[in-house]
Amino acid sequence: MTETVKLTIPSDPKYLGLTRKVVFHLLTCHDVAKEIIPRLVLCVDEACSNIIKYSYNGCPDQPIEISFSLDQGFFEVKIRDYGKQCDSRDIKPRPIHEIKPGGLGTYFINEIMDEVKYCTNRDQGTLLTMCKNLKGELASTRGETR
Amino acid sequence: MSIGMQTNHSDNGVVTLLIEGDIDMSSSTVVRTHLTDLFDKNQKAIVVDLSKVSYIDSSGIATLVEGLQWSHANNTKFRLTRLTPMVKDVFEIARLLTVFEVFDSNEEALEGV
Repeated sequence: MTETVKLTIPSDPKYLGLTRKVVFHLLTCHDVAKEIIPRLVLCVDEACSNIIKYSYNGCPDQPIEISFSLDQGFFEVKIRDYGKQCDSRDIKPRPIHEIKPGGLGTYFINEIMDEVKYCTNRDQGTLLTMCKNLKGELASTRGETR
Repeated sequence: MSIGMQTNHSDNGVVTLLIEGDIDMSSSTVVRTHLTDLFDKNQKAIVVDLSKVSYIDSSGIATLVEGLQWSHANNTKFRLTRLTPMVKDVFEIARLLTVFEVFDSNEEALEGV
């Protein structure tokens, strides 16, 4: 896939399931190994949940623009919101040894993705870019059949 | 995304809760409310059957962590059973598989409570 696939959803949690289905279908279509797909789905879902919760403060009718590309084994997701900006230095996962509710979403993203960048260099909102090198994770390179 | 919950009360104060569906930001509050009701009834033990949960996110994990903390505070049991591969993987990434009491079957989870 060298094309970019774009999806825009309202900032309503009820559309998270739809987003997950799109990511799952996209990665399945493009031969990504089935073990890694749920992890990538989780990252996109967590990123969108964070936008709904923190950037838009739960307001359900704001846009979340998501674009996906898978080129030469690199999966890239860009997620744009127009809500409250925050200092990327403040976006920290909680220490994993602390057993308490909350703060795991960012931890999952950082743990699973190879590269995570938050760009607030714009008038409104944030552009989150997440990348994962899937070389070796494509079923065809592992001799698997779909 | 709808979520289903089925509760089975036994005579000895043990409750088995079967959750069906995806546990995400839109449904974790429903699960939390349901669990809180069970906590308020001061059950001896709650066994959560996750065999019908194909997806869980950090809000779902947080809800289950709250359940665990409640059980510690009240000296009761809070056990998880039959984790699907996706759910198990998320628990592994979060390094929570050894924090919770996790069982492969409801029968094993019900032993010794």
